[in-house]
Amino acid sequence: MHKSDTCLNTPFMPTKALLRAIVPMSQDNFLFQFRIEEPGPLSSCAPGQFIQLWIPGAGEAPISVCSGSVDGSLELCVRKAGRVTSALFNLVEGDWVGLRGPYGSGFPVKDYVGKDLVLIAGGLGVAPIRSLWQYILDRREQFGKLVLIYGMRHSEMLLFRQEFKLLLRRKDMHVFIAAEEVIGPDLPSVSWQLGRVTDMIKLAEIDECFLAAVCGPPVMYKYVVTELQNKGLKNDNIWLSLERHMKCAVGKCGHCFVGGTFTCREGPVFRMDTLRFLPEVIECS
Amino acid sequence: MQRSAVLSKNRFPDFFDLLKEFGAVFAPRRVSQKSFSFKQVDHPSEIAFEALRTILPPKKFFFQQRETIISYDKDGVKEVKPKVAPQVIFGLHPCDLTGLGIMDKIYAADPPDPHYLTRRKATLLVGLSCMPDKHCFCKAMGTDSPTSDYDLFLTDIGDDYFLQIHTAAGQSLIESQSELFGAASEINKQGFKDFWTTRDQAFPSHFESENLPAIMDLEWDNKIWDDLGNRCLSCGNCTPVCPTCYCFDMVDVASLHAQEGERAREWDSCQFVGFAKVAGGTNFRPGPVDRLKFWYRHKLHGFEDPHGLQTCVGCGRCTESCPSGIDDIVNVVLRLQGKPSVLVTDTPKAGGGSSAGGCGSSAGCGAAGGTCGDAHDNSQSGYLQIERRGDDSDA
Repeated sequence: MHKSDTCLNTPFMPTKALLRAIVPMSQDNFLFQFRIEEPGPLSSCAPGQFIQLWIPGAGEAPISVCSGSVDGSLELCVRKAGRVTSALFNLVEGDWVGLRGPYGSGFPVKDYVGKDLVLIAGGLGVAPIRSLWQYILDRREQFGKLVLIYGMRHSEMLLFRQEFKLLLRRKDMHVFIAAEEVIGPDLPSVSWQLGRVTDMIKLAEIDECFLAAVCGPPVMYKYVVTELQNKGLKNDNIWLSLERHMKCAVGKCGHCFVGGTFTCREGPVFRMDTLRFLPEVIECS
Repeated sequence: MQRSAVLSKNRFPDFFDLLKEFGAVFAPRRVSQKSFSFKQVDHPSEIAFEALRTILPPKKFFFQQRETIISYDKDGVKEVKPKVAPQVIFGLHPCDLTGLGIMDKIYAADPPDPHYLTRRKATLLVGLSCMPDKHCFCKAMGTDSPTSDYDLFLTDIGDDYFLQIHTAAGQSLIESQSELFGAASEINKQGFKDFWTTRDQAFPSHFESENLPAIMDLEWDNKIWDDLGNRCLSCGNCTPVCPTCYCFDMVDVASLHAQEGERAREWDSCQFVGFAKVAGGTNFRPGPVDRLKFWYRHKLHGFEDPHGLQTCVGCGRCTESCPSGIDDIVNVVLRLQGKPSVLVTDTPKAGGGSSAGGCGSSAGCGAAGGTCGDAHDNSQSGYLQIERRGDDSDA
C-alpha cells in the first residue's frame, strides 16, 4: 500500500467555537449557544446529526444538534452527565471549545415529505427531535399530519418551555407533553398529561399510515416500539436515534459498534428494520 | 506478474545490510525464554528466525499504542504530524501480513488516517515463512499464505530463501544489489512448492470456517458464552495482542495550569467494562459475557464488521495470552459446530480432551488449560492458569 498522501489532515481536528450564551433550561440542562468563526461543514447540520464537542483538557463527547439548521451559530442542549459535560458547565461566556462534524445520518426528512408523522421524545431526547420539528414546521405544507409526544419523569424537567407554549397553540400539529410526576403550579398554556410516552401513543390519533421518529433514553425504545407496533406501524416506518459514546465519530474507534455497524456512520438514526441483533441494540441492563 | 529470486542463506548478512540501507530494521527478537518481540536489530544474529508469534503484532508500528494527534496552547490548536523515518519490518508471517492488510483497509477507509498511513507508506514489509504450532489456525481462516500485503516474502527452502517480490519497492531493493540474488531454478521452485505443501499438512488444529457467520448467528444463545464469559477477567489481554483489533480511545492530557495540553489516541479494549457505556450510566455490554461474545462475533462473523472483513487471522496470540484460557478459538468454534475438540495442551489431563459438550464448562476449553504455560513470561498469567487447571481437573 503506497497510495497514501502525506499531506492528509487528521479527521480529529476541531473548529474553534466561542461560547456566546448559556441559558438555564431546567435542573442540570442548559442550552449552550456557540458562535463559529469558520463553520465549514458545520454550517449545515441536518436534523438528527451530531457533532463532537471538545473541551480542551477534558475530552470530547458526541452531542446532538438541537437546532434545525446552522450557519455561524450552533445550539447544544446539554445535561451535566459526564466528564466533558461537567467541564462545559464550568465554562463562562467568551471561553472557547472545539467542535467537529456534523456526523452521522440524521432523520431521512426527504422520505417524510407528504407523510403523516409522529415525533416521540423522551427526556433529553427532545434535543434532536427539536431539530426535526423545526425543519418540518419551516416547510409545514410539505408534510401530512404531525403529532409530537414528549415525555419526562418530572414536570420540572421540561425543556424548551417557551417553545412548547407556542407549539401547543398551533392548530396544524398535535402536541402531548407527559410527565410521570407533575410537581408545582401548572403553567398556563402547558397542558400536562400524567403518564409516560407510551400512554400518549395510546391516546394520540395515530394509525398505520404514520411514520415515527423516536429519540430518548435507551430504556424507552423497547416499550415505545411495542406501542407503535400496536398502533399498526411496521418496522420500516419507525426510525430510532440510538445513543452511543462515539470517541472518533468517523467509523474507526469501535466504541459505537452495534449490530454490525458503526452508529456514528450508519446512524445515529436507524430505520428499525435495518437494525440487527436487537437485544444488544435497544435493550440494556 | 510476480517476480521471484533466490537468496543463499550464507548471503543473508548482505541482504540484511541491504535492508538497513532502506531504513531501520525491526525483526522478532527473543525477549525471554519463550517470548519474542518486534524490536530494532542491528545485526542479523539478533534476529529470532524461529519466532512464530511475537507478543504484540506488527500493528504497533503504524497504529501506535499511544500517539498525540493534536496539541493546544493559549495560541490555538494544531495538528501533530507523525515523525516518520523509513523502516523495514522483517520476519512477518502470513497471518501478520493479512492482519496488516486488514488494518490498512480500516485506516485507509474514508476518512483516511494520516498518522497510520504516513508510517505505513514509509515501511517495507519483508515476510518470512513459518511452520505452524498447536495454536496456529491461519489455514482455517484462509490466511495461511502471503497475499498482497507485502513487499518481499522469504520462504525457507533449505540452504536458500525463495524470494517472492511483490511491489516496485521490493523490486528496486533487489535490483540495487542484484548480484546477491540468483534466478530461481526448477529445483528451487520445487523446493518452494514442497515447503508449502508440507506446511499445509502440518497444522495440528483446524476447523471449517465457511459456515462461521451462520454458526455465530445460530449459536448466539449457546450456553458456551456464559461458560466462557463467566471465567473472563476483563483484563483485555486479547485485544492488544490481536493483529486486527483496531479500537481506540481519545484522551486529553492537560498541563497543570490547563493552558496547554494534547489530545492523544490510545489503544482501547472492548473487554473493558466502560467500553460501551454512555453518559448517564447505561452500559450496553455490562457483563463479561456480553463483551466476550461481542469480541468473538467481531472476529469470526466476517459480515458483521462494518468494513466487511472477517477480522480473525488465526495467529493464536489471544489463545496464548489469555490468562483464563477462554480465547481458545479453535476449540470454541469446534464446540459451536458440534464437533470434537482438539487436544493442544502439552500436559494432558484426565478429561481435558473430551468431546464437545462433554463436561460442561471445561469441555471446549479444557484443552486450553496448558496453553498459557508457554505464553510470555507473565507471572500473573501463570498463577491464574495454575488455579484454573485445578478447577478443570475437578470437573
